[in-house]
Amino acid sequence: MIEGRYFPPASSAVTSAVLSGTPEALRLQETGGQEPMMPVLQSVSDPVAGVPRKFTFADGGVFEAAPGADVDGFLGTHKSFFSRLTRFEANLKYIALAAMVTIGLLFVAYRHGIPLLASGAAVMTPAPIVAAIDFGTLETVDRTLFEPTELPEKRQEALRALFAELSFAAGKKGPPLQLLLRKGGKTIGANAIALPGGTIIVTDELVTLAATDDEIAGVMAHEIGHVRERHSLQQIYRVLGIGFMVALVGGDASQLVDDVVTQASAVQTLVYSREFETSADLYSVDLMSRVGRDPVSFVDLLDRIGKDDEAAQETYWFSTHPGMKERRAAVEKKIRELAGG
Amino acid sequence: MNTNEAVPLGREARRELSFSFTGSATEYFGIWIVNLLLSLITLGIYTAWAKVRRQRYFYGNTWLDGHNFEYHARPVKILIGRIIVLGLLVLYNLLVLISPFFSFLLIFYILAFPWILNKSMAFNARMTSYRNVRLNFRGSYWGAFFSFIVMPIVALVSLGILAPLASRYAYNYIGRHLGYGTARFETQAPLKALYGNLGATIIFVILAAVVCGAIGLALSAGIGSFSYGDMGDEEFARLLASGPLVAGLLGAYVALALSYVFYAAGVRNIAYNSTTLDGKHRMTSNVGRLRYVWILVSNLIVTILTVGLMRPWAAVRSWRYLAASTGLLAAGPLDDFVDEAAPEGNVGAAEFFDIEGIDFGL
Repeated sequence: MIEGRYFPPASSAVTSAVLSGTPEALRLQETGGQEPMMPVLQSVSDPVAGVPRKFTFADGGVFEAAPGADVDGFLGTHKSFFSRLTRFEANLKYIALAAMVTIGLLFVAYRHGIPLLASGAAVMTPAPIVAAIDFGTLETVDRTLFEPTELPEKRQEALRALFAELSFAAGKKGPPLQLLLRKGGKTIGANAIALPGGTIIVTDELVTLAATDDEIAGVMAHEIGHVRERHSLQQIYRVLGIGFMVALVGGDASQLVDDVVTQASAVQTLVYSREFETSADLYSVDLMSRVGRDPVSFVDLLDRIGKDDEAAQETYWFSTHPGMKERRAAVEKKIRELAGG
Repeated sequence: MNTNEAVPLGREARRELSFSFTGSATEYFGIWIVNLLLSLITLGIYTAWAKVRRQRYFYGNTWLDGHNFEYHARPVKILIGRIIVLGLLVLYNLLVLISPFFSFLLIFYILAFPWILNKSMAFNARMTSYRNVRLNFRGSYWGAFFSFIVMPIVALVSLGILAPLASRYAYNYIGRHLGYGTARFETQAPLKALYGNLGATIIFVILAAVVCGAIGLALSAGIGSFSYGDMGDEEFARLLASGPLVAGLLGAYVALALSYVFYAAGVRNIAYNSTTLDGKHRMTSNVGRLRYVWILVSNLIVTILTVGLMRPWAAVRSWRYLAASTGLLAAGPLDDFVDEAAPEGNVGAAEFFDIEGIDFGL
């Protein structure tokens, strides 16, 4: 028997009432009413702390149990998922445990889960989509950033041969590699870019700035590393993953909290970006050693590109690439490892 | 002019009823952390159940005249809505990634916006009940188009001078199309009061800009002298020279965000105080604008300092304050409302607004 109050179908009028019987054969007696009603139960609201349970009947009438009434006992549902959950949520010991597990899980998801899922998703991304991204991006950058190359035909041939040598050594696994030469102009200057579908763009300015072919080859190998290890796709998926996690944690957050967290996660994408640059550097060292070229010389070229920019020497929290000192040290360490192994 | 006198008295004298929230931070912490844990374990699938549980906690512990509110959405429907919205968002972003040309799809989004707004409002209204009677929302496409696309642009182009007009249209639109069972709401926000609120906001902006700018400057100067002595690096010094500029911009951004909160709280008061239900009951709102700004700012600071662990406390605190600042001047008992069949809205539209963080409720 449960005390409470009763609302007739589709009405805000209320009378106090008592519900008895069994869930299959209910008896509802309104205070001061004559005959008890025999309503057919349609649903009962799940328990939530502090909220009265409501019985909705087939005709639209609602019986609201008084606060603290033993509805689960009446229905025999004290072992249902939400009844257990409600007891769990109200137990300080359990929620302290849940808080610790959650913090641990968030940390693991952030450090390992998201990178793992991102690399899995990058591998599974269908090749036509990746090719389409290359095609679209190339069309845009050609229109807005680049101009046609002005290198002599013979030099272009030599660079293509160099690239073919590297891509042969890199193997066929993954998107087909393709070299494009472009004039960078004022905005881009000496630079090299890898698109996820295997298109690698090297600018005239970079070629001119290089002292040896090994320097250019090292940069190409670095870009091939980005393609083979699917860094740009991984970056996209990692940013998505972080966004998803932020949405999870801040599910009920206000706009102010949301803004702050979004800014903070933008810094995280820079951390990822630096991680990928280091990884591509190491790939380059490995590939260059295999084709018998000087694996360290591309760092000299990068140094020359960044020589006007003191900030490029050090790693800052807002850098997209690691500082040059750090990169050189990492490259030299890798070379020693290769020599040692 | 006092409209109250024109209203015939009901069976009883007018009663001043206040909303109240009976939940607590500790209680909500338990619900919040379990929601988060289960959402993580299920890779986000549980977020639909989590949302319903959160809404039911906040609605269900909000009381008016001895009765609570109830949130009725079914988690499975929410989940389907979320999957559809996420699918569309991923597809759109993928298309833009392939070619920026696809940004033109935004035009369709703008054209669809009034429809999405109406369907979202209808869904959220339909999922809310009080005393066994549900809310409902019957929007019109062009009304929403005018109030939520044309007027915001007008407000922007006029550099905020016409913002009160835009606020008036927005609240009047929502109020006018909202119903409680067969009874209708009606909002007629007075323009004069809205302009008064704008004037107060301008004074607030100036004060906030001075304070925020000063704090920003002091901070950057403090960091500057500290780091400069430490590094002694010429390059680093040059970087720091831009510090006051960065601090100034940051200060301006914060001041702008705070003024928006200040302004919106004022508009809420004016709009609620000029909203009637069934032509006889009147809503009331007396949110302290400065107090509300303070609550949100201190909430944000505490939430950040505790890496989110105090978020439940902050959520309960602001909800409780808003509930306590809201009331109803009832012209008699509230037992004669009758529910009716009404548009069900669209869960996908509601979830789209939820995911994009678009929220018209304050």
